[in-house]
Amino acid sequence: MSGAVPRDRSCAAALLGLPGMTPVRLARLLDGMGPRVAWAAVRAGAHPADPSRRFTAAARQVDPDEVVTRYAAAGVDVLLPGWTGYPAALVGDPGAPAVLCASGDPTVLEARPAVAVVGTRSATPYGAKVAADLGRRLAAAEVVVVSGLARGIDAAAHSGALAAGPGAAPPVAVVGTGLDVPYPRENRALWARVAAAGAVLSEAALGTEARPMVFPARNRIIAALADVVVVVESHRAGGSLYTAEAAARRSIPVCAVPGSVYSAASAGTNELLVDGCVPVRDADDVLAAVALARQGRGMVGPASSPAARGRADPGDPGPVDRLERAVWEAVDDTPTTVETVLLRTDLSLAALTAAGEELVERGLLTAGAGWWSRA
Amino acid sequence: MIASIPSAVLLGVDGRPVSVEVHVSNGLPGLTMVGLPDAAVRESRDRVRAALVSSGFLWPRRRITVNLAPSGMRKAGAGLDLPVAIGVLVASDILAPGAVSGLAFVGELGLDGSVRDVPGTLVLADALRHLRVVVAEAGLDEARLAGGDCVSAPTLAELVARCTGRRPWSDPTPSVPSIAVADGGRPPPDEGDLADVLGQPVARRALEAAAAGGHHLLLVGPPGAGKTLLATRLAGLLPDLDLPMARQVTRIHSAAGALPSGAGLVIRPPFRAPHHGVSAVALIGGGSAAMRPGEIGLAHGGALFLDELGEFPVAVLDALRQPLEEGIVRVSRSRGSISYPARFLLVAAMNPCPCGEAGVPGSCRCSPASRARYARRLSGPLLDRFDLAVRVERPAASALVARCPGEGTGPVAVRVRSARQRAAARGVAVNAHLPARVLDEAAPLDDGARVLLERHLVTGRLSARGLHRVRRLARTLADLDDDGDVLSDLHVAEALFLRGGRGLLLGEDVR
Repeated sequence: MSGAVPRDRSCAAALLGLPGMTPVRLARLLDGMGPRVAWAAVRAGAHPADPSRRFTAAARQVDPDEVVTRYAAAGVDVLLPGWTGYPAALVGDPGAPAVLCASGDPTVLEARPAVAVVGTRSATPYGAKVAADLGRRLAAAEVVVVSGLARGIDAAAHSGALAAGPGAAPPVAVVGTGLDVPYPRENRALWARVAAAGAVLSEAALGTEARPMVFPARNRIIAALADVVVVVESHRAGGSLYTAEAAARRSIPVCAVPGSVYSAASAGTNELLVDGCVPVRDADDVLAAVALARQGRGMVGPASSPAARGRADPGDPGPVDRLERAVWEAVDDTPTTVETVLLRTDLSLAALTAAGEELVERGLLTAGAGWWSRA
Repeated sequence: MIASIPSAVLLGVDGRPVSVEVHVSNGLPGLTMVGLPDAAVRESRDRVRAALVSSGFLWPRRRITVNLAPSGMRKAGAGLDLPVAIGVLVASDILAPGAVSGLAFVGELGLDGSVRDVPGTLVLADALRHLRVVVAEAGLDEARLAGGDCVSAPTLAELVARCTGRRPWSDPTPSVPSIAVADGGRPPPDEGDLADVLGQPVARRALEAAAAGGHHLLLVGPPGAGKTLLATRLAGLLPDLDLPMARQVTRIHSAAGALPSGAGLVIRPPFRAPHHGVSAVALIGGGSAAMRPGEIGLAHGGALFLDELGEFPVAVLDALRQPLEEGIVRVSRSRGSISYPARFLLVAAMNPCPCGEAGVPGSCRCSPASRARYARRLSGPLLDRFDLAVRVERPAASALVARCPGEGTGPVAVRVRSARQRAAARGVAVNAHLPARVLDEAAPLDDGARVLLERHLVTGRLSARGLHRVRRLARTLADLDDDGDVLSDLHVAEALFLRGGRGLLLGEDVR
């Protein structure tokens, strides 16, 4: 990084903080132009993306160095695309924030798969439990849980991820308010814990209060960060459906947790299922979807961990002994009766079943009533 | 004048001594019978009268009262004909009381005076062992199995002549009939040879384990897979009964009237295969006043084969649970209760679902609901009793069969016998009877086996009771393979697999 970075950072922060600034306007101002050049152009009233000089007067009142000092005092980093910490998943995204604020360590997203666990703010106990379980088990499988730190499902997913214990992947939150304005207030403690363990991201300037439209907008970031989006509970036309929609536009798989057909809190998710989303019962289903998604994009499978190993790449049985290898090779991709395998391998039934047990335990075979198939 | 003649009647599988008291007095001619006779006993009045007259004796034109003591017990069967006839002869002074002292009588009379055999002769003779028992000629061999002193006579007239000493008891030497149990050898050809079964390595292994360890076996498979053929081959795999068991089995078969005349002791284990239309009483026993043993009693010491298990009435199947657990049937009726031994190997066969094709996913055409309904016919507790539940597939293509030639009954029976000898060294007849408290000693686990079982316990695929059953089964499998005292994960894995379970019926035991 060059010595110009501090000046770029302060100018970006200053632009972000101008009154009336929106993500779309900011993106236009910084389109094809560095922050320093854009700042100077705005101040000079000569920016081609601001012909009406909307920001010029305000910009002349602001000292970028003073702005960036305020950010540093609040522990907030200001990131531009391509900088360390700016999530790689957002680079090249059509809706990527031109400037991103981060507290905590946003590099936790690097080299780890990410799953967005989102849902309604008025969650049922069922939804909250599912979200917490998913959060905990996904984090334990070294998957970064991304959510919005809202009430209900979001909070449950973050709490679950934080409860996964040492060695688990830290959670990442994307919020709609400024990073010095915890919202909702009851999640303040959780907010701080997420920031301490992982990262809290926002495209809003410091001091930005909660406004109705900021939340749907930040949902696109959540979707873009994730390999897979899981909607745990959503009312019909609920906010988390924006996340699902944003994911669908980016060809990111959307999974939904089925709920009771009588539960209004599941009306949206059940509708997603009717529309063909992948149903999710537990973290294993999600991990399978993650593996598929990353495979489809030519990436490696999910990080190897005890929980993730259950869904190892089915093409490779890994280091197994010769006998187990022979058994695995005698089993088809479709259900194969144990008797057929017995005839193909010439093993004793005892040796065969013991090897089969081991392969099932390692997730290489699926066992049914009297049959096996490759997992 | 009064006569008292010893005899016996059947109750369950036991003989109960009965005293037939006959009183002849002045009064209106006729014969009254008291002491709770059932229909067959009451009809003996007419048979006895005709038999006496056709044997050349005078029917007393006086009042005859017959009392069957103890009078509180209901008496069944025609075996009291002979003692009643002798009693009438003694009470009417045709036969001297001294001529029949020390004798007991069991037999049915024909109208021509001939003496006929009755069911349960062995058991009845056993109940009267302190006396010399007179039976029909056809029942003499059977009666002598009881070990007492038995004689016979072809007709009533001949019997009277022999009692009075005018004719000798000209029976063949009362040698003890052959009760030496032949040592295994070749099973009778009518039991079928296992070589008839082509392929089916898994089902064969399960059948062998069932025969060796006394583990109940459920065969599940589509129609035409050979379930019945397999099950009937079990009879040939079971070793001969030992002497005490042979005596017990012979008694039960005698009491049920199922002992062929002149057959001697039953030394081959019985194989009973009642049709699925069987009633609960016919299966469990206790029908007539004699409380005749049912099919499961007759299967004692051998095997009970229930083909098309799903077609049996639910009540009938659930009646099996108590005897399966205790090895004893208790039948209680208003007229009394009896118990008899019923320790048998249960072998059952059924289709996996109404269409019969369920197995690997996608092969069944039934709706999940109808499949669940079918599976529900078998209660969980009954299904739990099956240590072995395996799928029988239709024999594979001939090429596969050629690689797995069927082993004949002979060599398999040898392995079964030696496995049973190991069980006997542990103090039980078969491993399935090993008490849970001796399992740590009789079936110790190595580390691999322990890890495997713990995994199945933790994930809820195995219950505590299932654990014991799996260990017993693994013990049997290791015995069959001659594989030392400590169970390895190999045989435990095999036992877990052969245990199958409810998933075989529901087809959804995916994990």
